[in-house]
Amino acid sequence: MNRLALFAVAGLFVAFAAAPLVVNSGLLFIAGIVLTEILFALSWNMLFSYAGLASFGHAVFFGVGAYTAAIFLKYDYGLNFMLVIGLGTFLGGAAAFVVAMIVLRRTSGVTLAILTLALSQLMVTVIGYSGYLGRDDGIPSIPRPVVQLVVFAVDMRDQIQAYYFILIMTVLAIVLMWLLLNGYLGRRMKAMRLDPERAAFLGVDVWRLRVFAFTISGGFAAFAGCLMVPWAQIVTPATVSWLHSAQPMLATLLGGAASFWGPFVGVIVMSAVGYLTRTYAGLSELLIGTCLLIVVLLAPQGILGLLRRRIVDEQMVEDVAEHIVDSARTEKEIA
Amino acid sequence: MTSLFLFSIANGLVMGMAIFLVASGLTLAFGILKIFNFAHGTFFMIGAYVAYNLTGEEPSSFLIFLGAALVATIAVGAMGVASDLVVFRRLAGVPAEYTLIAAFAIMLIATGGARIAFGQDMHAIYPPGALGGMIDVGIPISVYSLFVIFAGLLTFFGLEVGLNRLWFGKIIQAVARDPWMSEMTGLRVRRIKLASVALSFALAGLSGGLLVANQSLTLDLGHSYLLLAFCAVIVGGLGSVRGAFFASILFGLADSLNYVLLPTMPGVVVYALLITLVLVRPEGFYPELAR
Amino acid sequence: MILEAKGIEKSYGDLKVLHGINFTVADNETFAIIGPNGAGKTTLFKVLTGESVANAGRVLVRGKDVTGMPDFRRARMGFGRTFQVARVFSEMDVYTNVTVAIEAYLSGQDRLSSPWWAWAPTAEVRREVEELLSRFGFARSRWRSEAQYLSHGDRKRLEFCITLATRPRILFLDEPTAGMSPPDRKEITRLLRTLKKETDVAIVMTEHDMDIIFELADRLMVLNYGEIIASGTPDEVRSNPRVRDVYLGQEMSHA
Repeated sequence: MNRLALFAVAGLFVAFAAAPLVVNSGLLFIAGIVLTEILFALSWNMLFSYAGLASFGHAVFFGVGAYTAAIFLKYDYGLNFMLVIGLGTFLGGAAAFVVAMIVLRRTSGVTLAILTLALSQLMVTVIGYSGYLGRDDGIPSIPRPVVQLVVFAVDMRDQIQAYYFILIMTVLAIVLMWLLLNGYLGRRMKAMRLDPERAAFLGVDVWRLRVFAFTISGGFAAFAGCLMVPWAQIVTPATVSWLHSAQPMLATLLGGAASFWGPFVGVIVMSAVGYLTRTYAGLSELLIGTCLLIVVLLAPQGILGLLRRRIVDEQMVEDVAEHIVDSARTEKEIA
Repeated sequence: MTSLFLFSIANGLVMGMAIFLVASGLTLAFGILKIFNFAHGTFFMIGAYVAYNLTGEEPSSFLIFLGAALVATIAVGAMGVASDLVVFRRLAGVPAEYTLIAAFAIMLIATGGARIAFGQDMHAIYPPGALGGMIDVGIPISVYSLFVIFAGLLTFFGLEVGLNRLWFGKIIQAVARDPWMSEMTGLRVRRIKLASVALSFALAGLSGGLLVANQSLTLDLGHSYLLLAFCAVIVGGLGSVRGAFFASILFGLADSLNYVLLPTMPGVVVYALLITLVLVRPEGFYPELAR
Repeated sequence: MILEAKGIEKSYGDLKVLHGINFTVADNETFAIIGPNGAGKTTLFKVLTGESVANAGRVLVRGKDVTGMPDFRRARMGFGRTFQVARVFSEMDVYTNVTVAIEAYLSGQDRLSSPWWAWAPTAEVRREVEELLSRFGFARSRWRSEAQYLSHGDRKRLEFCITLATRPRILFLDEPTAGMSPPDRKEITRLLRTLKKETDVAIVMTEHDMDIIFELADRLMVLNYGEIIASGTPDEVRSNPRVRDVYLGQEMSHA
């Protein structure tokens, strides 16, 4: 991570941390949602850019976490919210595991995409028929909990406390994800995406790694869902819809799929556009679609890719120069 | 009981044909351009809106109804041409994911544009007088439904004959299977691809124009048909018209029977069927061009 | 005897590409498979390495039947493979390429001491990686070069590096010197000769360059239209009239 990126990330963190002091509660609400959407997009990007799998129904896992949190908060089973989050994350991961076991065995690419899409629609339908889960209207008016941590409690009924709770939890999750993706697991997954056969010939069980990646990705998505619910205080089948699944995809591609930070840029840009055009029906889709099209045609690596190209080109010149010197030296030795 | 059964089968056939009208363009686009055109459903909707704007809520005659559908076909076909010239052509040598994203982007632009142009309201559309009313073929069925079945069959046979027997169909197939070699033999590949894109989109527009009288016109029209068309195309085999036809009928029947057998959970049968079929046979029924 | 192929047959649809191939490879032996293009060399390779499944026949490694085994399991058993066009992980740098290989090897042997959530490679891994890199002539300054920007020869060297990271007991080389410049070619040959001397790895290779074959191969086998038409030591094969026919006397007229 070079210096520029470090500054940008730090700046971003400061901006979010300072938000409650600077913006009104309406914008603060959006900031909170943006945080969970960033995490959701990151979970999708993990699967796409690192494992090479395009999941078109990722909102299902987000929804598992969201509905779990909703049930426990609304119907008040008295479980500490931290445990609820843990449970939701676990269930999301489990659901992802099951899906991966079924789907990854035979399909890939477009077929995988459609199958995951169909599964998400199936979930929408099933939820639509469950009174317990609120049918088409979802579960509204979800009370915010008081979260009992070991030494103190966070009262989420206070917007400021709730915001910081979400911010801290999101940051922790992002840090964890970053560590995973830049460590052993990330290296292995990236190798698998770049050249699955090569990886297999080194002894990597590609199928098993894919299922694993899916599971973890589902867990993170569910975690994001759990955080969203006490903040937005409502969950509906739309949370699980195909449209919601599309958003992390768009955000990632817009921001730059090859980078860990791409989804940040993408979600913020999309949210900004969505917010600024919220009064003009259709305008947000038009603008985002146009942005995406421009990105694809002119800069497929996304906004960050454009910025990065300048740095990479310099590195490439260095590498080529090195090589020329090296081979001249080798030629001399052999001759 | 049997009449209910027959009725639901008839309904399923109609539904299947409707799905096929949408799926045909989709599978063509994949077979020839190797893109999964997410925008297809949106253009179907635009076709419907264009037709509606010409005929109003109740088209005054059958000819006007057909005429509007024709205009929709041409209009959407033109949008397809624009898409190819501006977008798809440039992505010819680039990995498939980007074309997928581009199609997605076009869908967003089209949806947004349509929302602005046509507004958010819902309209109820009725078939033209000549197609109104019911006739009895053992069970009561609306004339319009028969028309849809007829249109579907006509499209199917038209495509089958066109693609497999006639010279331009064979050229399209050649370009689909091996664009490089086709170029070598002197075929104007770019032009043929353009024509294929136009055809695919035109079919979307046509189906929109014809099917508009089937239900209420809203902007979400694209989504429900699109998903079913996706299912049909996958199960039938990406790129295969024949496969799309049979799969569409299958899904139409499944959805219709779902209403009868599992009225409390509509839609479930379709998804369950899709998942099962794809797991059993991931390449589809007719894996012709799905390389 | 490390490798034994019994009655390998492979068809693609109606086209039968391999007709009952039988051969053995001894420990520490370098075995070459040659033949004109289309003879079935690559297909045979794919069957041996687990990339393809044969229609009939068995592949045994030290007596153990590995015929149905998927490629990653064969790799863990000691199979190494290079490709005609060097396949490395293009968007990762040289150091990470080898790191992934070493980590894959250690985890495949259940000897990876760090857990899957570990961030930095362990000291043990790093030591192995750096030793391997210097052995293959990658100076420290090149370690962070991205693989996709390497020259053709460097990529091949990198591929050797990562293949040998998994301590293969039998190495499958698919045209190892294809498209290489003379200095790179010399270097690969030197490398392979050192490998033969210092380790007990067996090598199975396909090649078109006869010079390399005669320098390195202990025994070879000539394929034509999916059948073995000759096998034996390089001298024996060279003087075989059938082989001369097949090759039209061109490459074989060396020396």
